[in-house]
Amino acid sequence: MAYKKPVQKFTGKIREVTLGENLKLGGESVLPFYSFDGDTGHKPALGMEIWDVYPESWPATIVNELGDKARKPAEWAKYVEEKYSPDFICLRLVGANQDAGDKSPEECALVAKEVAEAVNLPLVIAGCDSNEKNGKIFTKVAEALPEKNIAFLSAVEGNYKEVGAAVGLAYGNIVVAESSVDLNLAKQLNILLMQLGVKPEKMLMNPGCSAVGYGFEYVVTTLDRIRLAALDQNDTTLQIPIIMPVSFETWKVKESVATEDDVPEWGNQEERGIAVEISTAVGVLAAGANAVILRHPRSLQVLREFINCLI
Amino acid sequence: MARFLTIGERIHVISPVIRKALQERDPEPIIARAREQIEAGAHYLDVNIGPAEKDGEELMPWVVKLLQSEFPNTPLCLDTANTKAIEAGLKVYDPKPGKAIINSADAGSRIGMLEVAAEYGAMVIGLCAKEGIPRDNEERIAYCTEILDKAIAVGLNPEDILFDPLFVVVKGMQEKQQEVLDAVRQISEMGLKTTGGLSNVSNGCPKEIRGLIEAVFCSMAIQCGLSSAIINPLNKLLMDVIKTAEVIKGWNLYCDSYLDL
Repeated sequence: MAYKKPVQKFTGKIREVTLGENLKLGGESVLPFYSFDGDTGHKPALGMEIWDVYPESWPATIVNELGDKARKPAEWAKYVEEKYSPDFICLRLVGANQDAGDKSPEECALVAKEVAEAVNLPLVIAGCDSNEKNGKIFTKVAEALPEKNIAFLSAVEGNYKEVGAAVGLAYGNIVVAESSVDLNLAKQLNILLMQLGVKPEKMLMNPGCSAVGYGFEYVVTTLDRIRLAALDQNDTTLQIPIIMPVSFETWKVKESVATEDDVPEWGNQEERGIAVEISTAVGVLAAGANAVILRHPRSLQVLREFINCLI
Repeated sequence: MARFLTIGERIHVISPVIRKALQERDPEPIIARAREQIEAGAHYLDVNIGPAEKDGEELMPWVVKLLQSEFPNTPLCLDTANTKAIEAGLKVYDPKPGKAIINSADAGSRIGMLEVAAEYGAMVIGLCAKEGIPRDNEERIAYCTEILDKAIAVGLNPEDILFDPLFVVVKGMQEKQQEVLDAVRQISEMGLKTTGGLSNVSNGCPKEIRGLIEAVFCSMAIQCGLSSAIINPLNKLLMDVIKTAEVIKGWNLYCDSYLDL
């Protein structure tokens, strides 16, 4: 008897969400990269992170390469777009943190607008460390840039009403629902946003990220179970594309932060940081992420190659 | 694992309102009953037109078209012993929201419904009975196997059959309840899908406890593998129990608002 290749068929399908003008995420009806089982949907998207303040803590090669542009977010964004052409740019409003300038929501909106006007790539806006302040920042930024399919990182349990109402309902942008590696809360938060009236095609989710070695197995099994519920149980509340700010996590762990003087046996510091970033991104992509945010151009290059080799 | 399938039973000729509406071809009462069941969360709607010996071939297509034009996303379960009426209904049925279900075939005079299902690409409820209520599980399983053999012979996929072991009334046939549950378990263990009419179980009991009896029986049957049921979706207790059972079984991912969905 001829061998018949078994195929794992699912009833569910991840919804398509458009970032910016036409960067489509999701659409798959199989597990990540399982092209032998069916439709893998749109290719995972790779975004590059930029800051609204000078990135002092960043790897020396990046900071040196940027030079003065690192002080002007709009120029920085334009440079990244032209030189590295990622799929999207993520502007992180670090300067809104109390210890980094405590920028007001209005100031944040001005920077975001400048960046949005400088580039053609789709934009993702990430807030500061305070969820409460992010509610106010996102409201102002979304108001300044309405109906542009900009994704806002993130709406959490504590501020989802404010963020959902402003970003999703009033100004027609995309709300990212973020939970901290908690499967049940991830689903709950999606439902709460939908009950608020946010349309699922204006939603992305971040079910919680960490760097490899820091509870990462749990991140991966959470992603796995979310995807299986969406595909196998046809759970429509979880059929939302996933975006993960990988670089936010990987560049703060000790493997990336410790200098070569401190731990000479670990080797070159920047190489380590890149390795942690790449391993983490590959891990979450293989578990179901549809978009990742990266910091180092080398990571972008390797990840792009990785995705193109698989699909 | 697929979710539990609910078939709403409230469009039934036994109800005077529906009987009159069917006779007079009056859409409103039928649409109203359909709407309340869909809003309550029924996946399928059963449409029981009775034997309809006189005008079934005309009545079934009328009601199928009526419901599908009003509720294009809700699949239907066509319920009559009149084969010609079933065929006439299937001819006009749009399978886009899901295959139609024929209610029902059995191992006796209605075994021909399996061929009808195969011919029209429909699903079918397979009553594990021949004449009246099966005596014991040996009979039930024998009839189940007969239906299965026949289905395979006529080219019907076993996945498209919902085997009904025939739920029986608790008031009067109390000693048979465990046996029925065991039949659900045995059929499920054969990898087959199952269903049953929950109102059979509570028939004749006081109205205020019928919902409770149905809900408890349903959750016990789900534990035995029951994959669908013909129910009154307006019984909120039952619907909540089904949703909770799905969570306990791991068929649906828990979240605090799972009852709202």
